Amino acid sequence: MSNTRVVITGVGAFSACGAGAETLWQAVRDGVTGMKPKSFERLPDQKVMHAAPISNEMLQEHAVHVRPRMQDRVTKFALIAAEEAMTQSGLKDAGLGDDVGVIVGSGFGGAEALDEGYWAHYHSGGGRMDPLSIPKIMTNAAASWISMTYGATGPIYCNSTACSSASQSIGLAYQMVKAGMMRACITGGTEACVVAGVFRAWEVLRVLSPTLCRPFSRDRNGMLLGEGAGILVIETLESATARGANILGEIVGYGTTSDAGDLLRPDPAGAAASMNKAIKDAGIDPAQIGYVNAHGTATVANDVSETEAMRRVFGNDFEATAVSSTKPVHGHALGAAGALEAVVSIAALREQLAPPNINFSEEDPKVGFVPVTGTARPISTSYSLSNSFAFGGINASLIFGHPPA
Amino acid sequence: MRNATNDTQKLQNELLDLVAEEAMVDRATLKAEAQLEDLDIASADFVMILMAIEEKYDVYISVDNELSDLKTVQDLLDLAAKKISEPEAE
Repeated sequence: MSNTRVVITGVGAFSACGAGAETLWQAVRDGVTGMKPKSFERLPDQKVMHAAPISNEMLQEHAVHVRPRMQDRVTKFALIAAEEAMTQSGLKDAGLGDDVGVIVGSGFGGAEALDEGYWAHYHSGGGRMDPLSIPKIMTNAAASWISMTYGATGPIYCNSTACSSASQSIGLAYQMVKAGMMRACITGGTEACVVAGVFRAWEVLRVLSPTLCRPFSRDRNGMLLGEGAGILVIETLESATARGANILGEIVGYGTTSDAGDLLRPDPAGAAASMNKAIKDAGIDPAQIGYVNAHGTATVANDVSETEAMRRVFGNDFEATAVSSTKPVHGHALGAAGALEAVVSIAALREQLAPPNINFSEEDPKVGFVPVTGTARPISTSYSLSNSFAFGGINASLIFGHPPA
Repeated sequence: MRNATNDTQKLQNELLDLVAEEAMVDRATLKAEAQLEDLDIASADFVMILMAIEEKYDVYISVDNELSDLKTVQDLLDLAAKKISEPEAE
């Protein structure tokens, strides 16, 4: 691939922790969780009684570029994060054309519109379905609204690969910018899945914790369902420099692989190969990576597999590498997870702090390692790595670096 | 004491019926010492078994280390009985 360098000039985040990338960073740095009690009137049999949701009040307070009756929450989340990133980058004032693209993933798309529509139609004796259901539900709606809002007429993609949607979106955007197919790209992921039907579907798969989300801990018993959006504005170093933009960091490597094995059970070989590809792409040694923002869902299977994969990749350096999952803070935001965690990984590098893996109580002999616990740990490193793994056997790893000197 | 034993036996029988139905295995093969692996009871079957336990006993069991360590039919019965009887701890 070319020697073009791809830098980040804007970041935006919206999650249960609040609006703003800095708000998200402060929450993960300080270990302040967005977990709240959550019950659904439509779920009389609901058993897990909490999530990391975005309240309607919070959404109304921050909503921008609203088109009444046209947008599901999933689009509104994305537009809030995109506006923050675009304002910070200054790109929206520089004029956008067909050399600027949008690659924004989502796992479920407009889940609330779907739930509302089905509820009204099936449950209420054939009640009216929203005639605008389809444009609200389609997974690419958020990406399209972003392109329309800012006039980005370049390539547009919506990568829907469950929990790797956002990391793969950012990875693909990075590759396309690097390859000269775009000058800049608005990229990330969005998910608005704390909705009755989707919540229940996760609950009955038995992967939601009825208590606390405890990644890598012996007593872990599942994940905390979150939601939100994370958006990055990325562009060539040449473009950013020419505009005089403030450069926040660089994407230096990306790797993605498929287990081609089991639909649900992760394979450490696939995850390790993903990280190794990213490291090779970055042209660095594993030991140079000082912080890993793990996928760390707190399911029994993921944390064992991911640790085994990290051990294979980092070898003897693994013990010295600061690793944490920040999902107990912002929740597992599925198709937005990799974007929120990219925002965290970029901030961790800037602040030289590895945020804590909260709720960890004891080492699991099957995992055999202890993440960053308690409070944020000072690090001294030039690179951070973020993993996202998905059902379907999909692995994606992104490596971030400091702004080029 | 006798009542407690009878209750335990009744629960175990109910659970065996449930496991046989949800995992689609012959009830007669569900001997206490039988290995779940040998019976071809895998993770997808566990999801179905846990769903049925929720419906019948109103208890939510997510997949944790205890559950993923189960080896025999008796292990499964013991864990299910324990989870059904204990309130969920925070």
